[in-house]
Amino acid sequence: MFPQLEAILAKVEADYADLRYEIKQETIITFNGRELTQVGTNATDGFVLRVLKRGGFSSVTFTREDQAAWAVRTALENAGLLASQVSQPVSLAPVPAREEIFLPLLPEDPRRVPLEEKLELTRRYNEIPYRSSGIATTQTQYAEICREKYFINSEGSRLREDLVTTRLGGTITSRDGTLTQTVRVGGGGSDGFARLRHQDGEFAEKTKIALDLLKAEPVEAGAYNVVLNPDLTGVFTHEAFGHFSEADLIEDAPTMRERLALGALLGNEQVSITDDPTPPGQLGFYRYDDEGVAVRPTALLRQGVLVGRLHSRRTAAAFGEPVSGHCVAEDYRYPPIIRMGTIYLEPGEKSLAELLQDLGDGLYLLNALGGQTSGENFTFGAEYGYQVRGGRQHKMVRDINISGNLYQTLQRITGVGNDLTLSRTGGCGKGQLNVRSCHGGPHVLMEQMVIGGR
Amino acid sequence: MEQLLEQARRVSDQCEVFFQEQRSDSVSFENGLLKNIESRDQSGISLRLIREGRLGFAYTRNLPRPEELLQNALATLPGGVEARYALPERFVPVDGRAYDPDIENLTNTQLVEEGRRLAAYLGEKTDGQVNLAVYRSVTRVRLLNSRGSDLEWRASNYGAHLSLMYPGSYNAVERSWTAKKFSPVPEELPAFILSLYNASKSKVRPPGGRMKCLFLPETLYALIWRIQSAASGKNIFENISPLKDRVGEKIFSDHLTLIDDPLDSLRPSARGFDDEGTPCTRYPLIEKGALVNYYFDLHYAEKLGVPPSGHGYRTAPWGGEAISTKPRPSLEYLVLEPGRRTFAELLRSLDRGVVVAGALGAHSGNIPNGDFSFGLAPGIYVEGGEIRGVLEEAMVAGNIYDVLRNVEDLEDRVHPAAEGYYPAVLLDGVSVAIGGS
Repeated sequence: MFPQLEAILAKVEADYADLRYEIKQETIITFNGRELTQVGTNATDGFVLRVLKRGGFSSVTFTREDQAAWAVRTALENAGLLASQVSQPVSLAPVPAREEIFLPLLPEDPRRVPLEEKLELTRRYNEIPYRSSGIATTQTQYAEICREKYFINSEGSRLREDLVTTRLGGTITSRDGTLTQTVRVGGGGSDGFARLRHQDGEFAEKTKIALDLLKAEPVEAGAYNVVLNPDLTGVFTHEAFGHFSEADLIEDAPTMRERLALGALLGNEQVSITDDPTPPGQLGFYRYDDEGVAVRPTALLRQGVLVGRLHSRRTAAAFGEPVSGHCVAEDYRYPPIIRMGTIYLEPGEKSLAELLQDLGDGLYLLNALGGQTSGENFTFGAEYGYQVRGGRQHKMVRDINISGNLYQTLQRITGVGNDLTLSRTGGCGKGQLNVRSCHGGPHVLMEQMVIGGR
Repeated sequence: MEQLLEQARRVSDQCEVFFQEQRSDSVSFENGLLKNIESRDQSGISLRLIREGRLGFAYTRNLPRPEELLQNALATLPGGVEARYALPERFVPVDGRAYDPDIENLTNTQLVEEGRRLAAYLGEKTDGQVNLAVYRSVTRVRLLNSRGSDLEWRASNYGAHLSLMYPGSYNAVERSWTAKKFSPVPEELPAFILSLYNASKSKVRPPGGRMKCLFLPETLYALIWRIQSAASGKNIFENISPLKDRVGEKIFSDHLTLIDDPLDSLRPSARGFDDEGTPCTRYPLIEKGALVNYYFDLHYAEKLGVPPSGHGYRTAPWGGEAISTKPRPSLEYLVLEPGRRTFAELLRSLDRGVVVAGALGAHSGNIPNGDFSFGLAPGIYVEGGEIRGVLEEAMVAGNIYDVLRNVEDLEDRVHPAAEGYYPAVLLDGVSVAIGGS
C-alpha cells in the first residue's frame, strides 16, 4: 500500500503533509430480544489527507482513490484560505520520523475464529437472561472492529499498525407492568477473543440486578455524600476532568485555558490522574496515534495539581508543551482529534469497607450509564445504588443521575480506595466515536454530589 | 449498481441496492477566529437480499468487484436473520425539491466570509466567547430493488451554528440555521442568543424545587427522545413501551401535536421515500395530546401485521453510517406544532423558573420508561419575568408522562434544532435540583 500512498503524497507541495489509509473490517452479530437481526463481516476503506502550508492546516477525507487529485487540490486550497485568514499560523511540534510495522500479538485472534462460533457464543449469552421470568427484552451484540492503518508523512514516517477491538455485550431490560429497567452487560478489549469467553456469570449477575431494580426505590433529588465504584470513578475521571486535559478543547477558550494552566490547584492532595495507553492487554492500548506519534504515559494531575496535558502536534506547539501521542481518529472517515487513551484516577490506601465507614450516611453508587461534559459541568448516570446508613448498605435505589462542576468536585474527593480497575468497554463520542476509550479508578468517597433523581 | 442488482436477483427472492454519496465542507470559528476547514467526499454501497425468508446483508466503499459484495451478503444467509417482509413496489415519490443547484457555486471562501461576518457581529455586542460553524453539503441516495423500484434523492444543505459560551466552560446558548442554499443568516438568530447570554452573565444559586421550566428548542430532543422510544414499532414489538395498546388515548397535554413530515418541501432534506423505498407521508404521532400512531420500518411492520409507515432509515446512534447500518424505525423529520405566545411573552410569564438552554447527559436515565434527568448546560434563572443569572450546578428531572401533561404554552414559531423543528415549550412543576459548595 505504501507505494500508492507515496504517489499521492508526492503531488502535495506544502510545508508538511500526511496521508492515512485504512481498511476497516467489522464483524457484527446482533440480537434484538431473542431474534438475530444482524450477522456478517464487511470491509470498508478510505483516506485522510492533511496539509500544512504557510501556517494553514487543513484536512480532506475521501473514499475512492480516483478522488486523490481532487483531495490534494482541495486540501491545498483550504490550507491557503486558512493561511490568508488566521492570525496565528499553525506549526507542528517536531517528532522523530518513524518506520515500523506493528501488528499486536493477540492470544486468540478474533479474525481466525469462525463466524459460527461467534454467533453461538453471542446466542448463548443472550439466552441467559430469559431463564428468569420478568425479563422483557435484551440487546446483545458481538462487535469486532479491525482498523488496518497505513500512515505516511512528508517527514519520512512510514507506519503500519493494526487495532483489533472486540466487544460482546449489550443491555438487559426487565419489566413489571409499565415499569421497565435496563442494565448494561458484557465487556471486551483489545487483546483478542479469549477475553469474551466464560462470561456466563456476568450475564447471570446483571440479569439479577435488572430484576432487583424493579423493586428498588427512585432516589430523592438532592445533594449527597457518595461512594463511587471503580466504573463510576472512571467515568467521572473521564467526564469531569479528562476532557479538559484535551488541549484542543481549551486551546481557543481563553477563560478555560487560564483556569487550567499547568500548576493550577484543581483537586485535593489525594487526587492524582494519569493517561497511559501503553500497557498491553487493556482496552485502550496502542503504539502510535494517527499523526504517527508514539504514545507515552502522561501524568495529568499530581496530588491535585495540574502537571500535564494530552496533545496533538499542533496543540503541543501552540502550548509549548511536550507531545503525548493522543491524536486519534475513529477511522478513515475522520481526521484525528485529541482523545484520552487510558485515563485513570490513581489508587490510594483504603478498602471499600473503610470508605463506607468514612461515608457514614449517604449513597453507594455503581456502574455508569452514559455521561457528558460541557466544560465546567458534567453529568453521568449510575445504574443503581444503595442507601448507606452508619457505614452499612441498605435498600437499593435507582434513577440516579449525578451532576457536578469540575472546579468544585475534584476538591470534594475525600477518600481514595486501593482497588484500581480499568473498564472493558469504551465509547467516548467527542464528535467521533472512540471504541477503545478506556477509563478506570478505585472506589472513591465524594462529598456533596448533586443527584437529579427522577 | 444495475449490474449488481441483476447478479443478486439471480440468487435471491428479493434484493435491494442502496448507494449514498455525501460531499461536504465546513468551516469553524473558535473564540471569534477562523480555526478549521474540512472537506469530505464519501460514498458507499449496501446490498440486501432475501432468500427463503432470510436476510443477506453486506456493504462496501468501493465496488471494483461486485461479485465480492454479493458473496459477502450470501455468506450471511446461514446466520438466519429473519426477513419476511416484501420490499416496496415501484412508485413515483413526491418530489421534495430538496436540491438547489446554487449550492454548487458556493465556495469555501464564501463560507469563511459569512463566518467572519457573524463572528464580528456577535463579538461587537458581547464579551462571551463566540464559537460558530458554517457548512454546506450535498447528499445523493439511489435505491434499486428487484420489484422495479429505481429511486433517486438529492439534497443540498447550507447551515450555520452559533454559540455563545460562558466563561470557564463550554456551557453555551446556541441557535442553528438551515436552508437549501446559501443566504445570510438572519439577524434575529445572533440577536436571540445575545439577549439570553448578555442578561445571564452573573452566577446565581437560588433554592431548587418544583418550578416552571422553559425548554429551548435546542433541548427538547431530551424529552422527545423518550416519545421516539415509546412510539417505535420496534419497542412496541419488544413489549417495552409504556405506549403499547394506547393508540387513541390522551397521553399528554392538549397543547402537544407532534408530526413527522418528510414531505415539507420548504425545509431542507425533504424527501418522498425512506431508505427502504417506502413512500413517505405527513405522519402525525401525537395530536392534541392523544397518541395517533406508532411508526415502523418494513421489518417491524411485518412483525406486527400492519402496513409500513415509511420510517425505515439507515441511521444509528453516535454517528453510524448509512451504508453499514440496516434500516430501523426512525423519525427524521419531526415537527412540534407551535403555540400562541412569543418567546418574550413566555419568558415574562415566568414568576420563578428556569430556561433550559442546554441539556447535558440526555442519554442517561431510563429512556423507555420516559424518565429524564440531565444537567443544565446552562440553566438560566428567571424571577418576576426577568433573567437573574446562570445556574452553576443544576439538574432537571422527571418523567415525560408527568411533565408533558403540564404544558402551559408553546412559542409561536419553530426553530431547527437537534432532530427536528421545535418551538420553545413552557412546562410547569418540573423538579430542579440546584447545588453548589
